[in-house]
Amino acid sequence: MFHSVSFLRIIKTGLVNFTRNLWLSAAATMVMTITLVIFSTLFLLFAITSFSLQSIQNTVDISVYFKIGLAEEKIQALQQDIQSNPKVKEVKYTSAEQAFQNFKDKHASDPLITQSLNELTENPLPATLNIKANTLEDYPAIASQLQDAKYQEVVDKINFEDNRVVIERLNRILKFIVSFGVGLVAVFSLIAILVIFNTITLTIYNRREEVEIMRLVGATNWYIRGPFLTESFLYAISATVLCSLIFLPVFVKVLPKVAAYVNPQVNLFNQNIFNFWYLVLILLALSLFLATSSTLLAIRKYLKI
Amino acid sequence: MIKFENVSKQYNKSKALDGINLEIHHGEFISLVGLSGAGKTTLMKLLIGEEGIDGGRILIDDIDISKVKKSDMPFLRRKIGMVFQDIKLLPKRTAFENVAFAMEVCGHRKEKIYEDVPKILELVGLMHKRDDFPHQMSGGERQRVAIARALAHRPVLLLADEPTGNLDEVNANEVIDLLLKINQLGTTVVLATHAADLVNKVKKRVITIENGRITLEQEKGRYKL
Repeated sequence: MFHSVSFLRIIKTGLVNFTRNLWLSAAATMVMTITLVIFSTLFLLFAITSFSLQSIQNTVDISVYFKIGLAEEKIQALQQDIQSNPKVKEVKYTSAEQAFQNFKDKHASDPLITQSLNELTENPLPATLNIKANTLEDYPAIASQLQDAKYQEVVDKINFEDNRVVIERLNRILKFIVSFGVGLVAVFSLIAILVIFNTITLTIYNRREEVEIMRLVGATNWYIRGPFLTESFLYAISATVLCSLIFLPVFVKVLPKVAAYVNPQVNLFNQNIFNFWYLVLILLALSLFLATSSTLLAIRKYLKI
Repeated sequence: MIKFENVSKQYNKSKALDGINLEIHHGEFISLVGLSGAGKTTLMKLLIGEEGIDGGRILIDDIDISKVKKSDMPFLRRKIGMVFQDIKLLPKRTAFENVAFAMEVCGHRKEKIYEDVPKILELVGLMHKRDDFPHQMSGGERQRVAIARALAHRPVLLLADEPTGNLDEVNANEVIDLLLKINQLGTTVVLATHAADLVNKVKKRVITIENGRITLEQEKGRYKL
């Protein structure tokens, strides 16, 4: 019974509802848009912070530089010692020759460096171990283990960049964004729901005669409800479009710079969470959810079927 | 066709209808008379499922309407046309559009609407007023548009609740004549009214309601209270 003619008429009536009281529609759309903008801002802040955190966490490691010309067995002995420590996640050994080769490859395009390297009679680079711990808290213990007197004769230098302070700060920011953000979005969602609820209630009131007659002549319940839902969907879609237009420049201009600043090696746009359309989809889902719930409330309370 | 079996209805402990037993047959014209508040309107509201029944049952073609699902109620309403004292036309739509509205909201196609609505307007004698708005018509004409709208779905039953309540004698007679004509064409008509002279003119079955009870049933009756 619910064929295309009815469907088109529902959409049309919904459009009429939307345009009949433009100021009211504008207000409803605005409140919804503000909610979406707040959500998007917090969403992006969260994404950037957690991305930064990840990048920094990945860069933390301990580098052990061995003395030059050291026998391999001594290095391997130390490597085994370290690897037996349960706090260690992985150990990567780079031999002196490998390090020299890497250096050569890296500067292959620079004739000056290539030339001076060729003049060297012996390898000036040390062998190294790269150590990654299971958790950030494990690094200081591993570092102090390496400073033990028995390693003094083989280890030249230990390089441990302690980023834990930065990481902890980022973690705190992240937690703040999440708790503060959820609260803020919840408050504004509630406001949006109330405003749309009022707008739809007013439309129901304005169209009470039509609704009464529709019922009398036997219009189906969904035919009567449909236009009100359509109206609220229009608020949701307009708000999503507006919010997306606001954030499009941010995605095109600002985000690449932020990404390059945080971690030049990783392209932020390869990450799903930073995809613009991904955000638009989330916004649409959120706004449709808010619109539908408030309209169903208004219909339930004021539309007698 | 329609059977009331010991039907009762209460509003806040006051009995609007009390043990109504009534049978209405196909093609009948029934005048339901009684003072305001006697229960005429309540009886009609129960028939279109606008109000629930507190006791007894109502059968329409052997279907118990209290057992009709809420989502199926609209389809029952398409079988029952209804007109009111306050007419309830949409002020911003023409006569044609008001009748077309009833067909639109039930999903009829445009071609079908343009085919049927002129026929119905012809039947109620208002083809020449098809593009007039309600405020451009007389009370009787407006009520006839409302009747046309009620007929849009070719109902088997037409309920008219005080259709002449706001009309002068000439207009009232026009409306009653139209209802009689519709009845002659095969539609069952129930007319609720307290206008004695109209009932006496109709000379059909009369049912008198007082304080929610049927107190008198007459074939070819007269208004008596």
